[in-house]
Amino acid sequence: MTLNLYSGNGRLAVEAKEMSVYYGDFRAVKEVSLQVPQKAITALIGPSGCGKSTVLRSFNRMNDLVPTARVQGAILYHGNNIYADNVDPVEIRRRIGMVFQKPNPFSKSIYENVAWGARINGYKGSMDDLVESSLRQAALWDEVKDKLDQSGFSLSGGQQQRLCIARTIAVRPEIILMDEPTSALDPVATLKIEDLIQELKKEYTIIIVTHNMQQAARASDYTAFFNMDADRAGYLVEFNETNDIFTNPAHELTEQYITGRFG
Amino acid sequence: MSEQPETYIAPEPKFGYPSGPKLGAQIQARHRRGQVWYVLLGASLIVSILALIALLYTIVNDAFGLVAVEYKNDPGRLVLDQQEKIMLSDPDTVSSEDDNELAAGIANDPYAVGFFGYAYYQNNSDNLTLLAVDGITPDTANVEDGSYPLARPLFLYSDADILQKNQAANVLINYYLTHVNEEISGVGYFPLSAGRISQSQQTWKQANELDLPAGQWASINPEGVGGRLTIAGSSTVYPLTERMLQRLQADGFAGAVTDESVGSSAGYRQFCVDGSSDIAAASRPMNQNEFAACRKIGRQPVEFAVGTDALAIVVSAQNDFLTGVTADELRQIFTTAQKWSDVNPNWPDETIKRYIPGADSGTLDFFVETVFPVALEDLPQEALTAILADNVSLGLGRRIESEQRFAADQLVFFTEAQWAEACDGAEPYAGCTLPPRDKENVLLLLEENVTVPNIVAVWKLVPSLLNRTAIEQEALEKYPAANLQFSSWVNLDFIRSPQSSTPELAGVRTAVLGSLWVVAITALVSFPLGVGAAIYLEEYATDNRLNRLIQTNISNLAGVPSIIYGMLGLAVFVRALEVITSGAAFGAVDVGTTANGRTILSAGFTLALLILPIIIIAGQEALRAVPNSMRQGGMALGATKWQTIWSHVLPNALPGILTGTILSISRALGETAPLVVVGASTFITTDPNGPFSKFTTLPAQIYQWTSRPQPEFQNLAAAAIVVLLVLLLSLNATAILLRNRYARRPS
Repeated sequence: MTLNLYSGNGRLAVEAKEMSVYYGDFRAVKEVSLQVPQKAITALIGPSGCGKSTVLRSFNRMNDLVPTARVQGAILYHGNNIYADNVDPVEIRRRIGMVFQKPNPFSKSIYENVAWGARINGYKGSMDDLVESSLRQAALWDEVKDKLDQSGFSLSGGQQQRLCIARTIAVRPEIILMDEPTSALDPVATLKIEDLIQELKKEYTIIIVTHNMQQAARASDYTAFFNMDADRAGYLVEFNETNDIFTNPAHELTEQYITGRFG
Repeated sequence: MSEQPETYIAPEPKFGYPSGPKLGAQIQARHRRGQVWYVLLGASLIVSILALIALLYTIVNDAFGLVAVEYKNDPGRLVLDQQEKIMLSDPDTVSSEDDNELAAGIANDPYAVGFFGYAYYQNNSDNLTLLAVDGITPDTANVEDGSYPLARPLFLYSDADILQKNQAANVLINYYLTHVNEEISGVGYFPLSAGRISQSQQTWKQANELDLPAGQWASINPEGVGGRLTIAGSSTVYPLTERMLQRLQADGFAGAVTDESVGSSAGYRQFCVDGSSDIAAASRPMNQNEFAACRKIGRQPVEFAVGTDALAIVVSAQNDFLTGVTADELRQIFTTAQKWSDVNPNWPDETIKRYIPGADSGTLDFFVETVFPVALEDLPQEALTAILADNVSLGLGRRIESEQRFAADQLVFFTEAQWAEACDGAEPYAGCTLPPRDKENVLLLLEENVTVPNIVAVWKLVPSLLNRTAIEQEALEKYPAANLQFSSWVNLDFIRSPQSSTPELAGVRTAVLGSLWVVAITALVSFPLGVGAAIYLEEYATDNRLNRLIQTNISNLAGVPSIIYGMLGLAVFVRALEVITSGAAFGAVDVGTTANGRTILSAGFTLALLILPIIIIAGQEALRAVPNSMRQGGMALGATKWQTIWSHVLPNALPGILTGTILSISRALGETAPLVVVGASTFITTDPNGPFSKFTTLPAQIYQWTSRPQPEFQNLAAAAIVVLLVLLLSLNATAILLRNRYARRPS
């Protein structure tokens, strides 16, 4: 059975419902409920080890790749629980793409980096057009149009990350998950990626994990603040529009965190 | 900070660390401990290098060196005889031992050509034209320095005992050495240099045990000297001797001299074999065999150089188109060409009339040796076949021809009628249908049946290089009939020939082919299985007790002694699965050649099992080294697990997988023990022709040779080791090149 993915134009892109994530016996995330709005940038922030990356990876079932990982509760996507038995994680990942902390281009040419995902997913249109439009959307086209047959590794770190974004867009997902996409980049490359994310939110829902509070404040529409409780399980403290979180946090913990008193 | 003193004084040791001068000493001690290790590591490297050098030294020392070979028939002589026979059998060739007859014949025919000693040309220079060879016309200077290709020294040979007992012989030689340079120009030869003459005089003085100072000469007055004397030999020396004798008799010599012009070879035969002559006259130096023959009848030949001769290539004075020829034209003129225009289109379309000295003459030998190639393999196939026909019995010849004929259009040992009858009969010969033999094959037959080389002694490379003179003397004393030659045991024949019980003929072709077949099957089986298992274990298998057990066992299997795999192969592939491995299940067995499961297939399977664990472990290591971000990147795009593995994980792991595979295939190529158990034949002469053939491999062959008592087989084993090493290195190099080309790892 496949999901009924097009369930109308509700405002929610994806919703976590009392979701807990375990690694073996260890509970990494405790009963998180979070409603992610469509075509907006949602930032997940919080101190190290608070489980924000785990939450992010739960949205497209990348946690399945960790043999001991287990999810309780539900993640609703177009009204269906993506952790239901009859859901194929490959389909989820096809619809919910992901960009990783460290740029990880494939050891193929720049062209193939973008085209590969489209090809395996059965794309029927003009591959050249798709590669070009994806690279343009990722603001990389002008820099690489003359060396499409060179290895993806020949690019700089920032370019590599934009190449990874381009290859993610090429399969036209609805949601793009970004796991600290700029943490391995210098400030100039970071700014380029942030500008790019602003462009992308016109068409895609973006969920971004970041350590960088300024980045969250600058670049996101909504912010979720996570913290770690005594038994080291992460939980959601507060979720609101970014403006409210940074100017008028509801919780004292949030305020302490954003003012740099811990974390 | 302002309280800090000018000079820095180390603080007191507050935390138990050494300080001040102790600190320096302690650091020095740590450095010294490191240096001990550095020295130990360096020493182990040096020991490894020394071991490697010793290994190479042993192999190379055995694989090359001097050998003494005795031939049943000397190949050089066979070639010479055959070439002379070809020349003499030509209908347009006139042959005579009488050079005057030749000179007269040539002079009268404008299209005639011939050769003889330079003396005869001088006697007939009015009606003959002397030809330049390669642009050099013979004259005193170029004959003396050897630049004219057809010049040769003239000799008299005798024996110290004869000279001391036979006064006539002694006086003749003495007279020769005193006066030859006064007479030689009159005969048409070239005088010897003073140095060469005094050398010959020194030899005479030694033979007569005269203790005269160097340069002082004792000429004997021949007046009244009598006795009997027989000289036999070269027709070239003959006129010179006749002239010397005339002058000798004029000076009062009273001996009865028999001077025979029979040719150098016949002269040597009389002197060394029959012992019927006292002096041998020759136009070529005595060879080792003749020398040995002399010693057999108790004669110790002493050599006196008496002059130099040049062969004159002449045409008639009436000939208006020739002044000189090249060596190549010379070869054609005296063999293949029928008309002058065949050699050079500018020359007339007339039949070449050839005038040559007879077969017993040293002149003909000299001409053929100088102008024509002297190695068997340089002869055309028909000539080789003719040599074979002359030297084997009719019965053996027929057996050889019945197996495979020599030429498509001609029979050698059978008559047409016999052949046709046999081929139409109930049991036709194999030769009735097979294509004719090629030159290689005839050469091999010659070696097996006619020349029959027999290695009587071998020397290793190092003594061969450093101690050559001693070896030469030893060989001359112990094996007078043998040829001493430098032999590389690794050569083309060695690689091309099949196994043989005669070391001179043995080769490694069968073993090399067997090794290649076995390794090919091993690779075909073990690579997909091993890589498949590695992918399963690394990418799919969950971490449970069963998989951990499998993993541990694979690691253990990699350490199991190879002979145990041999036992396994014997039990499973050779015995239990005989139907499959013998090819019976596929109907692929030739009756009579069945190997009963002891086939290439069994061996390949066995070795595949042997290296499977190594390939699996290497494959797992390589897959583990692929960063997880590769897998996640693929999966995050909606790729299935297999798509990710196939497109990203495998290409990145491939260099590592291939390195492991190459190493293990190399190991398979060098394995001996399991193959001996599985049934590598130690003696097999037929090439393997498929997976169901009997086989042997290079290591098995080496093992077999090293266990033979004859020393030649040790050299063969060393040569086979060289072949094995080269094979290994080239297979590895190819694999590494392919790997680097197609599986370049991202920067």
